[in-house]
Amino acid sequence: MTTQEKNLLLAVFEDIDPAAHAVDSLRALGVADAQVTVISGTPITEAMMGRKPQWSNVARFALGGAAAGMGLGIFLAFGTPSLYPVYVGGQPLIPVPPTIVVLFETTMLVMLISTFLGVFLDSRFPNFTPMEYVPEISDGRIALLIECAPELEKKVEAAMQTQGAESIRRAQAEVV
Amino acid sequence: MTVSAKALAQVHPEAHEHDHEAELRKEHLMLDPKPRGEMNALVMEAMLTTSWKFWAVAGLMALVTVVGLFGMWGYSISEGMYTASVNRPMYWSYFLVHTVFWIGISHAGTFVSALLRVFRAEFRRPFTRAAELMTTFALAQAGIHIFAHMGRVWLAYWMFPIPTQRLIWPNLHSPLMWDFLAINTYLLSSTMYLFLPLIPDLAMARDRSTGWRKSVYRVLALGFRGTESEWTHLRIALNIFAFAILPVMFSVHTIVSWDFAAAMRPGWSSTIFGPYFVVGALQSGVSAVAMVVITVRATMKNMTYFVRPEHFDALGKLMLIISMAWAYFFFNDYMVQWYGGDSFTDSLLHFHEAGPGGWVWFLMLITNILVPWLVLWNKQWRRNPWILFTVGLLANVGMWAERFIIVPVSLQINRVPFMWGHGVKIFRETFPYVSVEIPIFIGSVAFFVLLYMLASKFIPLVPVWEVQEGQMAHSIRRYGKEPVITVAELE
Repeated sequence: MTTQEKNLLLAVFEDIDPAAHAVDSLRALGVADAQVTVISGTPITEAMMGRKPQWSNVARFALGGAAAGMGLGIFLAFGTPSLYPVYVGGQPLIPVPPTIVVLFETTMLVMLISTFLGVFLDSRFPNFTPMEYVPEISDGRIALLIECAPELEKKVEAAMQTQGAESIRRAQAEVV
Repeated sequence: MTVSAKALAQVHPEAHEHDHEAELRKEHLMLDPKPRGEMNALVMEAMLTTSWKFWAVAGLMALVTVVGLFGMWGYSISEGMYTASVNRPMYWSYFLVHTVFWIGISHAGTFVSALLRVFRAEFRRPFTRAAELMTTFALAQAGIHIFAHMGRVWLAYWMFPIPTQRLIWPNLHSPLMWDFLAINTYLLSSTMYLFLPLIPDLAMARDRSTGWRKSVYRVLALGFRGTESEWTHLRIALNIFAFAILPVMFSVHTIVSWDFAAAMRPGWSSTIFGPYFVVGALQSGVSAVAMVVITVRATMKNMTYFVRPEHFDALGKLMLIISMAWAYFFFNDYMVQWYGGDSFTDSLLHFHEAGPGGWVWFLMLITNILVPWLVLWNKQWRRNPWILFTVGLLANVGMWAERFIIVPVSLQINRVPFMWGHGVKIFRETFPYVSVEIPIFIGSVAFFVLLYMLASKFIPLVPVWEVQEGQMAHSIRRYGKEPVITVAELE
């Protein structure tokens, strides 16, 4: 375990309400929203914590994947028979109904793979480097990871205590 | 005459309300929350507690898998395809019955998880993973039967879209390549759909394990912490998957049905085969989910908290509705061809119910229609795990019978009259000494059970975070004196 030297504080709360109030207190102290990360074992929405929605590129990855998948389908359905034309039983070289099947399946396949990889890329998975985390979070606690200026640290600690934080610690890597 | 008078029992309205509320909490998992740490402990204990009975059953399944599946498959590879009942005119035979059967089972995971997620059916939450696991493992079994049917399985790569030495590409317009694309798309999609919601539970398992398990979960959890952004990406991805995987699911079995329907032969060439196959898949799949959920509840520790009679009730209703839909499609397909009066089709339909496999045709109707309709309308019977399990098992027998009717029975009166009935004769006269298909199928069932058993000891079978999310959204609200369940929109 290595202790982080940054001014990172991890305040752990038992419930959503005090954590949401703590976010307000941090704002009042001048800590920007971008310097606070909410960590929880259950998906609590940004609205519950009174914060702006998170930016995500996952939908864009999905769209890009769909376009790439369509391209792959076009290559397989139109390109491969054109590369080496084999006429079978008087059938057209590129019949419409099977082409629809090929285009649909490749579009969906690459779209879903891109969505999956999008989660990895956006979340920076896998990430096995030391993390600011405590295992109690997966037991239902809610943590605020706060990056603050050194001169604010005492005030932030006091504010978190006032809001009912169970523990406040310098953020450490506790997942080993 | 003696007249005795008793005071009427005092009904205290408040006590009645509390009773009602307590009943609601006992009935509905979503209204009976436990602290998250406690739920985690329940799931971990279920995963880590293993009795000798578990290993005995697992050992038996492993033995049946090795002998039945891999042994007989190896035997057919070494001896040749004559060991199977694949012969003219029944070239698809039982291998295709079993392929379609397993693909049907695989539809359960997507249906229960994705469709019910889209419609926000809350009862799905504790057993979505159990259903999703079925999809992946059932598709693996379907693939095994396709490979076994190939004979020269080492040449399977010929199906991949790569050109041969003569630079001829596989004909991607061939119906069998549609299957290749559709089944692989579904297998990859459903595996990813299984893994994504598993990540937070793997992180939970990582936080609560020691030793080699911790090392493995640490790798599999990918460093998930539960930050807002991680949840946001996961939520968006799961929504995309839930909506996108449904058409993929429909496409898979529709395309499997087109393998038959695109052929110009009586009994198969039907415009309704696509939806008929999809509904049939749901019939067997949802029944299999019910069987798995009941088994998990009965055999794994602490599962009585997560799986309750309300879930049996909901699954029973689904099974009943799907059984009705299957009956509708079956008779719709049957009626038109019957009334059409084509003599070849008449011969085939008559052969179905009065040929050598006629008893299978009646078995199909009894187990797919009669039994569910007679039993599942009754709420008490639906909620009884033994009854529901039996109905589910019979429905799967019925769906196997349906595929048996469609593939070997229909194929064996193809074209040359002297071969009619050949397939059933081969099966009767040679089983179990020569035909490898049935031992391979039994082996694949054992392999499916074995994979499931091992998975139940390795991954959290209940998606705890999804259950907790559901519990956060549910509450009891009073309208006058009546406590009623309300569900909040959290997303």
